[in-house]
Amino acid sequence: MHSSESKKSLPGIIIVVAIMFALPLLNAFTPESFFLHVSDFRLNLWGKYLCYAALAISLNLLWGYTGLLCLGQGLFFALGGYALGMHLMLKTAQSESDASGLPDFMDFMGYTELPAHWVPFDSFGVAVIAVMLVPGILAGVFGFLAFRARIKGVYFAIITQALTYAACLLFFRNEFTFGGNNGFTDFKTILGHGVFEPGTQRGLYILTAIYVTACMFFNWWLTRTKFGRVQQAIRDSENRVRFSGYSTTTYKLFIFIVAGVMAGIVGALYVPQVGIINPTEMRPDKSLEIVVWVAVGGRATIIGPVIGAVFVNWLKSFTTYHYPDYWLIILGAMFVFVVLFMPNGIVGLPAQLKALWAKHKHRFIKAEPNGDTAKA
Amino acid sequence: MRYSSPIILRFIALATCLLGMTSVNADESEARQILAEAMLSSGDDQMTLVESLVETGEPKIVDTYLEAWKRGDVYVYEAKDGSVIPLYIPEEDGVSGPRPATVVATGEIFVNRMGEPEMLDPTTLDSARPSRKTRKAFTRVIDLVALSSQDPIMRADAALKLGLKQDADYLPVLLEMQQKETDDKVNEAVAEGIAVSQLALGSKEERLAAIQTLQDMNSIAGMTALENFKFNLKDGVAGVEFTESEMAVLDSAMQSIESYIKVVDFIGTCFRGLSLGAVLVIVALGLAITFGLMGVINMAHGEMIAVGAYSAYISQQMFTSMFASTNLAYETYFFFAIPFSFLIAALCGLVLERSVIQFLYKRPLESLLATWGVSLILQQGFRLVFGAANRQVNSPSWLLGNIEIFDITFGYNRLFVIGFAALIVFGTWLLMTKTSLGLAVRAVMQDPMMASAMGIRIERVRMMTFAFGSGLAGLAGVFLSQIGSVGSNLGQSYIVDSFMVVVVGGVGNIFGTVISALGIGVTDQALQPAFGPVMGRITVLVIIIIFLQWKPGGLFPSNSRSLD
Repeated sequence: MHSSESKKSLPGIIIVVAIMFALPLLNAFTPESFFLHVSDFRLNLWGKYLCYAALAISLNLLWGYTGLLCLGQGLFFALGGYALGMHLMLKTAQSESDASGLPDFMDFMGYTELPAHWVPFDSFGVAVIAVMLVPGILAGVFGFLAFRARIKGVYFAIITQALTYAACLLFFRNEFTFGGNNGFTDFKTILGHGVFEPGTQRGLYILTAIYVTACMFFNWWLTRTKFGRVQQAIRDSENRVRFSGYSTTTYKLFIFIVAGVMAGIVGALYVPQVGIINPTEMRPDKSLEIVVWVAVGGRATIIGPVIGAVFVNWLKSFTTYHYPDYWLIILGAMFVFVVLFMPNGIVGLPAQLKALWAKHKHRFIKAEPNGDTAKA
Repeated sequence: MRYSSPIILRFIALATCLLGMTSVNADESEARQILAEAMLSSGDDQMTLVESLVETGEPKIVDTYLEAWKRGDVYVYEAKDGSVIPLYIPEEDGVSGPRPATVVATGEIFVNRMGEPEMLDPTTLDSARPSRKTRKAFTRVIDLVALSSQDPIMRADAALKLGLKQDADYLPVLLEMQQKETDDKVNEAVAEGIAVSQLALGSKEERLAAIQTLQDMNSIAGMTALENFKFNLKDGVAGVEFTESEMAVLDSAMQSIESYIKVVDFIGTCFRGLSLGAVLVIVALGLAITFGLMGVINMAHGEMIAVGAYSAYISQQMFTSMFASTNLAYETYFFFAIPFSFLIAALCGLVLERSVIQFLYKRPLESLLATWGVSLILQQGFRLVFGAANRQVNSPSWLLGNIEIFDITFGYNRLFVIGFAALIVFGTWLLMTKTSLGLAVRAVMQDPMMASAMGIRIERVRMMTFAFGSGLAGLAGVFLSQIGSVGSNLGQSYIVDSFMVVVVGGVGNIFGTVISALGIGVTDQALQPAFGPVMGRITVLVIIIIFLQWKPGGLFPSNSRSLD
């Protein structure tokens, strides 16, 4: 059944990929008067949405396919962002004719030389490795402890939330040498290019689109492997899988690390496009928002998280601009609605409507109301 | 008859209020008259007048106006008929040009003939500068005026403060005071002050006696003086030489006080931790029922707390409008607020359970998500209804004071929270174990199908249980409104902590929740001095994560044969 499902999802993936790559082409090669033209601003906005999409895919690997509701995905995302941000801050500080060569916030704090853990980030390569390594190691250590103690279900959700909350408090401190609540901002260059030049931004967009494509195909491939099957079996009945002789702990730990690294890379793509990273990204509600994206799009589907992330964030941009007071109410109501009435999200909507239509027709013919159906 | 009692209460309150006003006024107006006169005179007259302020015993007025006079915020206004009036025009940041002035002699706003406040630009007026000689006397006057205060606590504080200055001028004043003073508490403070002063000023015998006194009194304030004295002895600048045996006396006195300080600190920490734990108990108890017993992850629990806090705010507003703004409103609204908040929050919980949660009992993870949506809606709703700014809920005065026993300060509000937490826990325990409702609740939570087969209406039991848990959250809101101001995300700051409390205590175990809340509270307070508040909090979270490694089921895991 799953293999046919993954075959079915292939056309959807291709459509999403086509749209993603059409946008930069429309941006670069169409005149501004053309009605499908995508402005630099819009392209940058879509770059942000795609970052969220990749983040949602990483959470979907955990929540959708393995049944691990991680409420700390924003933490891994932010750690990746911080790792690249450190490099960007150093380059910015060096490009300024600043005597100390230290990021501004360190000057304010009265540092005279770079703290030791900042020194290696002068090299772009180290920063890129750290983007993957730091979230990976944290996910490894935390996951090892949590899964070994067999913390699962809602307890896992709560404890990951506590983790991100603790990290958030930590990063808000100025003494933690990561800029306190201002975080990192005012970047100038990345690999010698001006960060906010349209060309750089377009390049970053394309990189993000490639990354989202890669994530989707990875996800698609994973669901077809034996690993993916075990992963889904863990979601459906962990005890049965364990009694069948599989070490569920190892499986869960592996997927937790993969998702953590995935989110870290997204963070690194996100920071130069948005131009800021600060501890608010680690706040527990940010991580919960990621869960909303996945739920709205459709969990345990490949394009669902992408559609959900883009849709919710597009709606957010729209409502926060037009009705700033009501955004949170809309988000909350949407969430309640989706959980109660659309358990399969947007992607599952056609099937749900079809079933509803069939039931309606059935009932219409029989003309016999059934008490149970109204409740479901 | 029904309406008579509030009116009588109002009358009493008004009368007390007026009585209080007059007694304060007598001293105050005398001090004001002298001050005004002093500001207008010069030379020795000025000096005499200022020194006479020591006798009036109205420290607040004297402090404020002498400071203002010194700073140059007092101006002399010349009226058209040639009379001169000293005015106080406080310096404010970013304010310049004409502004209202206060008449020093009466304390009222300066008005023109029409009775409207007269706006004056201080730059156009002459500043009333005290002479240099008078200014030197100010500190002394400010120091001494508190000694003749009506309030024994202020008197005691002032005496101790004077003693700590170790000034030869003040020692005779203190000795004189010792003869006259009748209040025991004040006398103790005076004796302590004298001992500290004599430690630096007296003869060798007096100093040894002072050391003995300080040791006997377990004087924490005297500790620094003793330390300084020891340094001075070593450097040979103390003015006396101590033999070895006398040194040993000093050392043992210091050791004895030090160990006393340690005990005091320890008990203080425990007490603060206990009161924080009590707040956590109240906050987490509702969660222990909805989450622990029912298995519903209610992310909107924090908003139920906020509902309770806002209900307290509303009841305060109601009482203030009913009783104008006499003290009485603040004294009594609290008793109304407690049941009111409980009911409103329980009602909200009831609506939430009927509209959302009842469909999600089989899907706990999704109830987490749906209730988070509800929490967002409620938060924004609060902001739209009550505004984005925080609301202030005033504490009744009987919650504001504190009692000091052996140098440990017990705040009444903290004591009250501890007592109330104990009461709530006891009540919940009674309800859960001694009533048939509690029996039904436990039956439904353990095995809903079987309970249903036994004729228990599980829908109704779940509804009532959830409402009860939410009502407890509302009670927590009333207490949090006493600790800080009420804002739309009041509950958010406690929600992570309360989930931690329940998980650590062992899900489904109310006793475990209480133990873990108190444990977390005390640990938090014990770590704070060493790590600071934020790092202390982080450390607690890390400790909890490690603790769950060791005991994944919490302190008191529920025993069950089912696998999940």
